[in-house]
Amino acid sequence: MSDPDIILEAIALERHFVTRKPMFGAPTVVRAVDGVDLRVRRGETFAIVGESGCGKSTLARLLLRLIDPSGGTIRYEGADLAALAPADLRAKRRDLQFIFQDPFSSLNPRMTVGALIEEPMRTHDIGTPADRPGRVAALLSRVGLMPDYANRYPHEFSGGQRQRIGIARALASGPKVLVGDEPVSALDVSIQAQVVNILEDLKAEFGLTLVIIAHDLAVIRHMADRVAVMYLGKIVEVATVDELFSTPRHPYTAALIAAIPVPQVGARSDARPVEGDPPNPINLPAGCRFQPRCAFAQDVCRAKEPSLQTLPGGRSVACHRAEVMSLTGIAETTDTRTKAAHRRFDLYRAARIAGASPQAAQGNPALPSQE
Amino acid sequence: MGERLPEPHPLLQVTDLSIRIGSVGENLVDGVSLRMNAGETLCIVGESGCGKSLTALALMGLLPTPPLRLMSGRAEFGGQDLFSLSSQDLNHIRGGEMAMIFQEPMTSLNPALTIGEQIAESVRRHRGGTRTEALDRALEMLRRVRIPAPEKRLGEYPHQMSGGMRQRAMIAMALANDPRLLIADEPTTALDVTVQQQVLDLIRALQAETGAGLVLITHDLGVVAEMADQVAVMYAGRIVESGPVAAIFDDPQHPYTIGLMSSMPALGARSGRLVTIPGIVPPANAMPKGCRFAARCPFAMPDCAKAPPLADLGGGHRVACWNAPLEQAFPAMAVAG
Repeated sequence: MSDPDIILEAIALERHFVTRKPMFGAPTVVRAVDGVDLRVRRGETFAIVGESGCGKSTLARLLLRLIDPSGGTIRYEGADLAALAPADLRAKRRDLQFIFQDPFSSLNPRMTVGALIEEPMRTHDIGTPADRPGRVAALLSRVGLMPDYANRYPHEFSGGQRQRIGIARALASGPKVLVGDEPVSALDVSIQAQVVNILEDLKAEFGLTLVIIAHDLAVIRHMADRVAVMYLGKIVEVATVDELFSTPRHPYTAALIAAIPVPQVGARSDARPVEGDPPNPINLPAGCRFQPRCAFAQDVCRAKEPSLQTLPGGRSVACHRAEVMSLTGIAETTDTRTKAAHRRFDLYRAARIAGASPQAAQGNPALPSQE
Repeated sequence: MGERLPEPHPLLQVTDLSIRIGSVGENLVDGVSLRMNAGETLCIVGESGCGKSLTALALMGLLPTPPLRLMSGRAEFGGQDLFSLSSQDLNHIRGGEMAMIFQEPMTSLNPALTIGEQIAESVRRHRGGTRTEALDRALEMLRRVRIPAPEKRLGEYPHQMSGGMRQRAMIAMALANDPRLLIADEPTTALDVTVQQQVLDLIRALQAETGAGLVLITHDLGVVAEMADQVAVMYAGRIVESGPVAAIFDDPQHPYTIGLMSSMPALGARSGRLVTIPGIVPPANAMPKGCRFAARCPFAMPDCAKAPPLADLGGGHRVACWNAPLEQAFPAMAVAG
């Protein structure tokens, strides 16, 4: 049962929200997370992907018990988080930290950056009051910010800088697992790349396990080791990132991959494996939840909900027809850039490494050494 | 409207557009020139604060002035300068020959009117006719944007629709008066990826059907590659590179364009560490003199203290960089790389 490789595990996890309670009759219930099983391995980057309303953010919060489950179990290092007393849960939180999507609303505007980063250390009684400012300074420079930013307030920073502050704060308690809910999706592409690099560096340096919630498949392709695809409160497919992208087994996964706008002229495909909008999570369709939008649906799909089945090789999929369909993904050999463009990127990389010019070395005074 | 003769002039030609805010001494949009032909798609791409949305608002005459100020520029559309039109003439063109699609249909549709009423209002304003005729037109438009059960949707309010349906309704409204030019500011950014694909397909199909020109503003290079004929890359208020879409993707020359592309994770095999652009965009009140990208540019040199002109490298591919073409400027590095 308790596999030492599994650091975080969800078993039949559920969270239902009552949206409307009429005086008479049945209340309206949204099954945001509706029976999720997943196992996150120590040291991996595990991604949860899905479209808005699929329950991925609720699942992320459940995994750290920021909200309480309606049913099911969350195990961290074998301990059931859902059954812990508040004081014990607080102690565990030292190991489990969260990075929020919106760097504008997740930092208290009335606290200095230093106080924000110090707060988890005080909560968990880490270090002494005298040495905490030094730790704060070290964390700030670790995420590419200047140590004297500790005296400033969040509003003085850009979105990318605030997300770095959020990451520094999450690291302050020395966590083992970081859960990020869309940690880079509010950021511009160039800033997003900087933050992705920081997360990957920190993961390697501190031996972190990352759980990344995202809707951007390119970011997931880059960061994740394994991926779970969610649709309307259920996980429909789990696989390694290479398997998932090159040979998707669930039609919804294939649809997500086919819908990525590819940054290559002429790469647009006219294959559209999915029609329509995701249905209302209050009125779930009968049978498979994806069946009304699925090009492969048959009677069995309308009659019976498929369960997540493990396939030979260890990946799993919840589809009645997974064995008979052939779906296309993006091959690992796919290269969206021409040779000429590659040469230009190599030149750019060489120039970045050389840091040749004095202007570039100086950089923007607001944000010094980034890499 | 109706017949469209082959046009000797470009559909839209913007010359030297500059916009400032308040008492800030530097232009937020600085010397932007654009040119597009009928039926073409011009994508303006750049990150937040680069001036792409301000440019679109200026073209539609929707710039909030004050605090913003139009410092210079002409925008010729159909033989008239949009910036010198009276508000009456502008109202006649806007929503008629020229229409706009915004990013967030929830905030740009009127929550107190049904979808049908909103489309009909725009139709009657530009074409006259009875309410019934206008509602018929609205129904036809909902059908054309492939909204399921259009008769039912006509009487619904925006909040009753999903994000994708609202954006379709918005497109139906924009196209109701057969515009020759459609300006779309991040039309799919708020949508999920599968719905985004449907809306982009729809815009492309309707454009092919009507022959309208499209100015598409986006931050997503994937969307640019799918949609554009011509591309303008903006950074800190200026166009740094422009040209046919193939030139931009296969032969990117401006260090910002290259940096932006290399910041994007690849979709094939994992590419290792992302090569980023260091630093952040300069704030509006502290625009650097000379090339505005120099402080973040790995190729910067003393000459970059002077602003480089947008020079033609041939084939309409223009780059504002003293070092373009890059391989000639850095032969040693090109070999090493």
